[in-house]
Amino acid sequence: MKKYETPLLDELEKGPWPSFVKEIKTAATKSEMANDELGQLEKSYRDKRGYWKHGGIVGVLGYGGGVIGRYSSLPEEFPGVAHFHTVRINQPSGMYYKTDSLRTILDLWDEYGSGLTNMHGSTGDMVLLGCRTEALEPLFAEVSSRGWDLGGSGSALRTPACCLGQSRCEWANIDTMDICNELTQTYQDYVHRPAWPYKFKFKIAGCAIDCVASIARADCSVIGTWKGKIAVDQDVVKDYAKAGMNITEEIVNMCPTGCMSYDGKELKIDDTNCSRCMHCISKMTKALRPTGEKGASILIGSKAPIVVGSLLSWVVVPFIKMEPPYTEFKALVEKMWDWWDDNAKPRERIGEVIEMKGMRSFLEAIGVPPQPQQVFEPRKDPFFFWKEEDLNGNK
Amino acid sequence: MEAEELKNKIYDFVLAAKGKKKLKEKDIIKGVSADTGEAADVVKKAMREMIDIGRLMYSYGGGSSSVEIPSEEYLREKGLIK
Amino acid sequence: MAWLTDQEAKAKRKTDIGPPHYSKMLPPVITKNYGKWKYHEELTPGSMVHVAESGDKIYTVRVASPRILATANIRAMLDIADKYCDGYIRWTTRNNVEFMTSKEENVPLIKKAAEAAGYPAGGIGAGLSNMVHTQGWVHCHGAASDASGLVKAIMDEVFPYFNEKRLPAKTRLALACCVNMCGAVHCSDIAVVAIHRKVPTIDHDSVKNLCEIPTTVGACPTRAISPDPAKKSVKINADKCMYCGNCFTVCPPINIHNPEQDGVAIVVGGKVGSLRTGPKFSKLAIPYIKNNPPRWPEVVSAVKSIIDTYAKDARKHERVGEWVERIGWESFFKKTGIEFTYQHIDDFTFARDTFRTSAAFKW
Repeated sequence: MKKYETPLLDELEKGPWPSFVKEIKTAATKSEMANDELGQLEKSYRDKRGYWKHGGIVGVLGYGGGVIGRYSSLPEEFPGVAHFHTVRINQPSGMYYKTDSLRTILDLWDEYGSGLTNMHGSTGDMVLLGCRTEALEPLFAEVSSRGWDLGGSGSALRTPACCLGQSRCEWANIDTMDICNELTQTYQDYVHRPAWPYKFKFKIAGCAIDCVASIARADCSVIGTWKGKIAVDQDVVKDYAKAGMNITEEIVNMCPTGCMSYDGKELKIDDTNCSRCMHCISKMTKALRPTGEKGASILIGSKAPIVVGSLLSWVVVPFIKMEPPYTEFKALVEKMWDWWDDNAKPRERIGEVIEMKGMRSFLEAIGVPPQPQQVFEPRKDPFFFWKEEDLNGNK
Repeated sequence: MEAEELKNKIYDFVLAAKGKKKLKEKDIIKGVSADTGEAADVVKKAMREMIDIGRLMYSYGGGSSSVEIPSEEYLREKGLIK
Repeated sequence: MAWLTDQEAKAKRKTDIGPPHYSKMLPPVITKNYGKWKYHEELTPGSMVHVAESGDKIYTVRVASPRILATANIRAMLDIADKYCDGYIRWTTRNNVEFMTSKEENVPLIKKAAEAAGYPAGGIGAGLSNMVHTQGWVHCHGAASDASGLVKAIMDEVFPYFNEKRLPAKTRLALACCVNMCGAVHCSDIAVVAIHRKVPTIDHDSVKNLCEIPTTVGACPTRAISPDPAKKSVKINADKCMYCGNCFTVCPPINIHNPEQDGVAIVVGGKVGSLRTGPKFSKLAIPYIKNNPPRWPEVVSAVKSIIDTYAKDARKHERVGEWVERIGWESFFKKTGIEFTYQHIDDFTFARDTFRTSAAFKW
């Protein structure tokens, strides 16, 4: 194997944080592919630019996603990365693994690819980094015959992802891992066969803390919430005070709706004024807990800035029950897809189409009535549309 | 319409767009359905069968996905031609 | 192991089965107490305990990872999980690794073993967690900077806030190697985003063969691109170009890379949670720092200085964005000593919401 001098990358082996250079070097002891990745990367560091070409057309037969083509622009100099495709393996909900089942993937990856991975990619998939075209079909056969499948890419349903929810968190109002798994399984066809104008992402968070950043990066953000009171264990509140928490400063004064009061003995909450933001619950988790009906808020449209600016998801359905098999939610989502697919130009995300066509068009298409929870405030301008049915309905 | 005849229509439809327009699945389903009078579901099923055996393929470029006539390179790699 | 032949692969392959069911991957104590957790406590920046209604406990040790992992090193982690965690392991959405055990006495042993393998514990609670990032020069065609190298250099510098020192609130760092921003970089407390600064150049002969002209024209958010019929290509109005690179995405012969001019911007004050104040986008703090591999010292010191100012000045539980909103952006620039430039004043889609319409502000 060729030995590359890597004086620049070697600088990134120093220091307390784990070094990606060490990882690449580890893989490079066994793989020519990883070794040439190291060589090409050193050159990038020298020249301050990347040496990869646009993705090409690669994949497994019948699927339109799950593999992203990647080719070096310097294949003669670095033949090991001439093909260096990404294979997305759909992660189990919550990213828990039994060690033996993960070892199965690692063994296959050592055989068929570079031995480099991302645990995990931004969307949530396990990412196998660096596969040659001719290895794709046998690798897929090996992986799928052991119970694993590819994730989404391109203009498809992207691999749904979730926080760990009720598996290890007292704050989860919904079973995020089950919802994630159920959506992934129900919509396998949409994950593997890109049929839409552009990508569509689900992210499912158990509460408004949103550890999976659903509100910032999912076309459909499912965020767990509740409708009842916050139960207060006054004895435990006293324990927090005794342990040094300044309840007035840290809890009462930081409540965004001013719905709490504390007289040094009792913590009171005016639940009718609570917006369920999670601040008090997250800081006094032993003393406070939501009660009553549990469900989710559905927010739609978030995306990164390309191309006319980032969007955060907008509240569309303030509350929906989320119980298996999630029939009502799935029916709603399918209506959204139909409307989006009918109205989008190529590469338009659902949020952008809502901006273009108007929220009313979207709400009517999915059968959701207008509600004040959907907006921060009503419009300021005096220009608004009337439809014939509004006039007749005397609204 | 015979299944094979419909598949030929689909193939011709995709061939006609080659080099001119990147077709989404939906463009093909809508277009062929209008041309032949076959229901969208029937066209979709036929198209999918063609993709499954490599008579058509999914492609990707310019940030989005499309359906195309497979390249020789693709067919060779899938062991569909020698 | 030998590679499968075409025939074998065809016979073996399955489609549309989806991922394995998560229930097969869960430690028994989690299966038993699923949906019945009562509370949790942070024990150290690298460990916590969750307690169930049943009284069962599960201890978690969270450790750093560089996201890029070699199979051999993942196996080393799995060995630790076999030894101390009954053969279960998980990853977090921020690319940390979590070792879980019901035995409290295993906590220091796991920490020690993970640290010996090169993966130190930390990232829990009011401090720094792992820095979410993208592929960079390691694997992306569109990268305007590397990702992993910057993250390594930054995390080395601010490491004490990961494993030991505390901040007013949790602080989420992120890095995107271009403005496509894979990952929620646009809503992070402090994020680094790589940018271009020069109008792209066009290889007209290749445009003719590789690009759809209407799609390319339509890809430009500022309408800077128009058809150039004589060349069967496109032309770019330099005055209108904001270097977003979207044209490069749809039409590769339009080259936006420029090693001497590409670099990074730093944005601050974003968050995704609804706690106290709503989710926020990150806003521009520093418009440009040149690429200076291998360790980008100027970027590292800029990030460090913002974190240090925040650590000193913010109130308990206040996220970076909440702190800045309380003191005002004019005070943010004063306290951090960051220069305010033309680039800070928006002239794109959100501009009118950002101009000050009040006579009340600070000197």
